Amino acid sequence: MATISTQLRNFKEPDKDEQALLFFSIPSSGSSGKGQEGKPTSDSHEKMEINAVLSLGGQSQEDPYAGRLHLIPPYLAFSSLDRKSVKFTLPLCTIRRVERLNARAGIYALSFSLWHGMKIVVQLTSLRPTADLFCELLSKALKVELQAGRMKSVKGFSKTCYSENLVLESSPVADNEREDGSLIDGGEKVGDGGAPIFHGGLGLRFKFPGDPKKLREASKTKLWTNYLRVHGRHLTLLRYPQCTRLVQVGLPNRLRGEMWETLSGSIYLRFANPGTYEQILEENKGRNNTSTEEIEKDLHRSLPEFPAYQSEEGIGALRRVLQAYSFKNPETGYCQAMNILAAAILIYMSEEQAFWLLEVICDRLLPGYYSTTMHGTLLDQRVFESLVTRCLPMIHDHFEAVDVQLSVASLPWFLSLYINSMPMVFAFRIVDCFFCMGPKVLFQVGLGQYTSLTNAILKINGEKLLQIQDDGQFIHLMRDYFSSLGDSAHPDSPDPRARAITRFQELLLVSFREFAIITDDTIYAERRRFRGEIITSIESFSKRSSIRNLKSLERFSKDQVGLIYDALFKAICVEPPPAPVPPPVTLLTTKDAVEERPETRIELRTFRVFLSEIATWARDEKVVINGFQQRVDREVAEHELIDRLFYFWDSSFRGSLSFQDLVTGLDGVMFNDLMENIEWFFNLHDKNKDGFLTKDEVLTLSESMLFIFRFEIGDAYLGAISRFMSNAFEYGDALLPQNEEDAGEDALTTPIESNQPYLNLATFRMVVLADEVLESFFETDLSASFRLEPVPLMELPATNSGFLGGIWSNIATEDNKKLFHKLSDEVGKTIGKHHVVHRPSIGRYTRIEEPRARESLLTPGMRRSPSKSSLSPTSPTAAEAPPAAAVSTTSLAPSTASTDTTLSPAEYNSLSLVQAANAALMERTPFAIDDAGDEDDSDEDDSDSEEDDGVLDEVDAFLEAHDSGVTDADRALAKDLINAEPVKQ
Amino acid sequence: MADAASGSADKSVQVKLVLLGEAAVGKSSVVLRFVSNEFQANKEPTIGAAFLTQKCRLEDRVLRYEIWDTAGQERFHSLAPMYYRNAQAAVVVYDVTKASSLEKAKTWVKELQRQANPNIVIALAGNKVDLVQPSPAAAGSSIAESEDEADDATATPGEAGADASEAESLRQVPREEAQAYAEEAGLLFFETSAKTGEGVVEVFTEIAKKIPIEHILASSRGAAGRPGTGGNRPAGQDGVNLDESQTKGKDACNC
Ligand SMILES: Nc1nc2c(ncn2[C@@H]2O[C@H](COP(=O)(O)OP(=O)(O)O)[C@@H](O)[C@H]2O)c(=O)[nH]1
Ligand SMILES: [Mg+2]
Repeated sequence: MATISTQLRNFKEPDKDEQALLFFSIPSSGSSGKGQEGKPTSDSHEKMEINAVLSLGGQSQEDPYAGRLHLIPPYLAFSSLDRKSVKFTLPLCTIRRVERLNARAGIYALSFSLWHGMKIVVQLTSLRPTADLFCELLSKALKVELQAGRMKSVKGFSKTCYSENLVLESSPVADNEREDGSLIDGGEKVGDGGAPIFHGGLGLRFKFPGDPKKLREASKTKLWTNYLRVHGRHLTLLRYPQCTRLVQVGLPNRLRGEMWETLSGSIYLRFANPGTYEQILEENKGRNNTSTEEIEKDLHRSLPEFPAYQSEEGIGALRRVLQAYSFKNPETGYCQAMNILAAAILIYMSEEQAFWLLEVICDRLLPGYYSTTMHGTLLDQRVFESLVTRCLPMIHDHFEAVDVQLSVASLPWFLSLYINSMPMVFAFRIVDCFFCMGPKVLFQVGLGQYTSLTNAILKINGEKLLQIQDDGQFIHLMRDYFSSLGDSAHPDSPDPRARAITRFQELLLVSFREFAIITDDTIYAERRRFRGEIITSIESFSKRSSIRNLKSLERFSKDQVGLIYDALFKAICVEPPPAPVPPPVTLLTTKDAVEERPETRIELRTFRVFLSEIATWARDEKVVINGFQQRVDREVAEHELIDRLFYFWDSSFRGSLSFQDLVTGLDGVMFNDLMENIEWFFNLHDKNKDGFLTKDEVLTLSESMLFIFRFEIGDAYLGAISRFMSNAFEYGDALLPQNEEDAGEDALTTPIESNQPYLNLATFRMVVLADEVLESFFETDLSASFRLEPVPLMELPATNSGFLGGIWSNIATEDNKKLFHKLSDEVGKTIGKHHVVHRPSIGRYTRIEEPRARESLLTPGMRRSPSKSSLSPTSPTAAEAPPAAAVSTTSLAPSTASTDTTLSPAEYNSLSLVQAANAALMERTPFAIDDAGDEDDSDEDDSDSEEDDGVLDEVDAFLEAHDSGVTDADRALAKDLINAEPVKQ
Repeated sequence: MADAASGSADKSVQVKLVLLGEAAVGKSSVVLRFVSNEFQANKEPTIGAAFLTQKCRLEDRVLRYEIWDTAGQERFHSLAPMYYRNAQAAVVVYDVTKASSLEKAKTWVKELQRQANPNIVIALAGNKVDLVQPSPAAAGSSIAESEDEADDATATPGEAGADASEAESLRQVPREEAQAYAEEAGLLFFETSAKTGEGVVEVFTEIAKKIPIEHILASSRGAAGRPGTGGNRPAGQDGVNLDESQTKGKDACNC
C-alpha cells in the first residue's frame, strides 16, 4: 500500500545454467544458506556437459539410456534425451571411485562406484578431446570434494535417512511398526545399538492419515525397498521410469518425507547446510516481528483435524519451521498458506527436513507465490486460465460468458498444493507427483479436474459445469466433486475391477495422460508470456492504491500525481532505496513497531534521479550527433542545490522523503506566481529560517542560479547573475541594520561575518525585480522548469493480453539500442562526425536557428519524436554542432568559493564568481541544440548500463549453443551407438 | 422473469457480499456468527477467501447471501478485486480496540468506492464491542458460553457501557468518530460483537433492505440471458444452519 516495490522489475529469466540447476533440482549457490562461503569450490566451478550413454551395472535390468551428462560441481547429473525417463543428480562426494574402462577402440567409458555400492557405466560419446576435457574437469572437481573432506560426511548423513533401514535385510524398525508406518512404541527415535537414527514426521507418533490397508502400504513399501536397493537412495537415487510410476501410485507413509526431499532436491540443501536450521532458531530466539505475529495467529488453524496439531508438540514444530523460514527469508517472511504446507509436510518429515523443503517450494518450485506481491500466484493463475482456454475451450467460453473467474476456485489449489481442497490422502498423492514431476503437475491436475468433472457430471446429471452461473455455484460444484473423489468412478459397471477405480485414480489418469502435452517447459514459456501483463497490473494496482492513500493530492490532478509517481517509481528502479535488511528503512515493516504502516521513503541518491526526471536543470542532457543519428543522452546532475531541495522538502527531518513529501514539495513550487517563487527560492536558501540570508547564503543562492542556467545559450543569465550579486551586496550593505555606524565606510575594514543575517526577503525581492531576466525566470520559468511528463521508460505494456515478452523484450531493445549507440558513436568519431552538445534547461534565450536534422538511419520508432512535449514555453530550434569532438562544459563556480569568506563583496563580484562565470561562458560552445523539440526524450538510455550483463549472457548463450563440442559427426556417432548393441533406446 | 421474483424460497435472490478489513479484526468470526450462530476459533484457514452462504428472509423475499470472507494479510490485498468484483454488498470490518484498523477500513472503503460495482452497498462494522463494554458477569472478557452472553449483550445495545471505565479504556475508536465518518462516506454503520452476537444480524438485515433487489433481478436475468435459474444448484453446503436461536434481530432477518 504505502510501499512501492520494484522487485518485479528485477526479475531475470533463468539463463541456461540456471535452467540446468532447476532441472536437476540443484540448489543455486545463493539459496544454499549461509556458513558455506568458505568452500573452495568457486575456483573449480567449471561446468561441462557431454553426450553420454548410461547403463546401470549389478543385478538391475534397466536398459541403457542415451542422454547428457552434466558436471555441475559439486554435482554430477544425467538426464536421458527425452528429459524425463532417466535422471540423476549425484553429489560428487557420493562417488567412491571412477575408472576408465578398457574397452574396444573408439569407445570412451567411465565406471563410477557410488556410496551405496551401485556401479554405473557412462560411455562418453562426444569426440575424444571433449571427453578428455570432461574427465579432467571431473577429476579436478572430485579432488576439491576430497580435500574439503565432504566424502566423509555422507556416512553420517545416511543415518538420518529412513530408506537406509528399509533396505537392511532385517529391519530393526520393521517389527516396531504399525501397518500405517507409525511406531508402536510411540516413536522414540530408534537409536540404540548403532541402528540408524532417521528423521521422520509427526505421523510417526500421531499416526498417518488414511487407512493403511486401503493405501496398500505394505506392498508399496516392498516395491520401494526393492527399487531403492538397486537404484540407490536419498543422495544417490537414480531415477528410472519405475521410480516415477511408483510415485504416481502414492508413496508409502514412512518413506514419503525422505522421498519428497530427495525428489525435490531439498535434501541437497539439508546435506550441504548441517546445523543451519537450529542455528537460525538459536540466533533469532525471542525475536518478534510481523511475521511471527502472523504465524502465531495461524498455528491453530493449520490442518487442525490432524491430532498432532491439537497438541503442543505439533504446534511447536509448526511454529519453529515457519519462524525459521521467515527469519531466513525476511523479504517473504510469512504468507498465509505456508502454514498449510508446513503442517502437511511435517506429518511426514522432521523439522529440519521440512524447513529445507519449504525453502525449495517457496524459492524454486512455486517462485513468487508467497512474496509480498504474490506475483507468482497471480501469474500462475493467469497461466492456468490460458491453458484452460487452450485445452478446454468450451469450459473457458462458458465461464467467460457468465463472468465467473476460474481463479476463485483454483487459487487455493495452487497456493496450498490441493491440501485443504481435497481429502488429505488424495492431496498428498498429488503432492508426491508434484515433487517428482515438477510444477506442471498442478496445472495438469487442475485441467484434469475440469475434464473429469465434466465427464463425471455428464454421466450423472447432464452438463452441470456448464450450467454454472456464478462464483458461488462454481465453488459448490467443486466442493462436491472433491468430496466425492473416493467414490467409484464407474459405480454401475458390471466389472468389479472397474468399479474399484476411484474418481481420484481416474483424475490422475486423465491429468497425466490427456495433458501430457503440458510440460514444465510449457509452463515456463507461458509464465514468460504473461509475466509482463501481471507485473503491469500489479504495478498499476499499487500505483492506484498509493495515490488513493495519499493524505493530499495538493493542487495536482490525479493524472499529474500519477506522473509524479511514475518518476518516483523510475527513480526507485534506477537507484533502489537501501535493502530492508538493516532495520530502519523502507520497503518492509520495521522490526518491533508492528502497528506502523510500512512506507517507502527515498534517500538523497534516489531523490536525485527522481528530480532529474522532473526538473529540467537537475539533469545533464547531451545531444549527440554522430553522423548516423541524433539522440539525447541524459544523466542525473549532482549539485548542492538538489541536495538542498531534498532537505527543504524533508519536513519531518527523517533524512528521507515519502511520496507525499514529494507531492507536497512539488506543489510548493509548481503553482507559484512571481512573488511566491521569489519567496520560495529565498526560503530554500534560508537555512535557519530566520528570514535573512547570510552572505554565504547569498553566494550559495547565486551559485544555485548559475547551476540552473549552466547550459543556457548566450550570456543573458550570466550577466543577470553578476548584476544580481553586485546589487545584492550593495543593497545588503546599505540596508544592513547592525552596521549603521560603519555604513559608508570601506566594507573591507569591518566586514560583517559571512554567516550573520544579512539580506531579508524584501531586499532580495527588490534585487530580483530590478533585473528583467531574473524577473522572467521567477515569473514563469522556475515553475515551468518542473515538468510532469510521461516517463518513457515506465511506459508499460499497452495491451492487456497477448503481450509477448513484456518488459524483457523492452530490455532487449534497450540493449540493442545501447550497442547501436556505442557503435555509431565510434564510427562517428572515426569519420569526424561525432559531436556532443548540452541541452539548455530553461531555453528562453535560444536564438540560433536549427538547420533540420539530417537523415537518420534509425527506424522511426527509435528516432525521438519531435514534439510530444507540453508545458515548455520555448519553440523548437537547434543548431548544428561544430565538427569537433565532444564538447564538455565543466561545472561552474566551484562550490569552495562560498566558504572563502574573507573577500569583500566587491572582490567577490569582480573576482571568483564572475570570473568563473565568464570562463564558463568562454568555454561554452557557441552552438547549441534546441530544447523543446526533444522534451519527451528517450531516456531509455539511462538504465542501460545495468543491462550489460544481459548482453553478455546472451553472447555466452550464443557461443555455447555453437561451441559445446557437439558436432554433427558426434550426433551421428551417438545415434549409431544408441542403435548398436548393447545400447538401445 | 416473473418466476424468478416469485416468493418461493428456492428462487431466492442471490446477493454477493464480501468482507474486508485488516487481519484479526474478526471478519471470519462475524461471518461464522451470522452463518451458524457460533463463536469459536477458526477451523478453516482462509486461503485467498473462504466462501459461505446464508439465507436471509426479508418481508416477502428471501435473499441468499454468498459471502466471501477474504484473507486479511496485507499481501493478499492484490487478490481482493477478484472477490469484490460483481459484489452487491460489502462489510468493511474494523476493531474498536485498534485505531489503525479503522484507517485500514477507510482505505478499503475508498478502494471499493472507486473500483467496485458502483451500486455496491457498504457497511462499516466496528467489531469486538464486547471488549469495551462492562461485563455483567465477570470482569474483563470472560469466556462464557456465547449463547448465554448473547442475552446480556442485547440488553445494552447502543450506549455501550457508558459507565464502564476499565473496559471503555480499551476502546481506541470512539463510536461517534466512526459513525461520523460512515455518514460522510455514505456507509451503513454498526458496532458488533461476533463473540456475543450483538449487531451481527442487523448488519446483514440492513444491507438486505438497502440492496436494490429489482435491479439485481433485472440485470442478472434480463441482460445476460442466462439459461438456468438460481435454484438449480447442487445441494452440498446449502443446508446452512437456520437456527431459531438467532431471531434476536428484531427486524426478523429469519436466518
Ligand atoms: N472479544 C472478541 N474477540 C473477537 C471478536 N471477533 C473476533 N474475535 C477474535 O479475534 C481474533 C481474530 O478473529 P478472526 O475472525 O480470525 O479475524 P479475521 O482475521 O478478520 O478473519 C480471534 O482470536 C477471534 O476469537 C469479538 O467480537 N469479540
Ligand atoms: Mg479470517
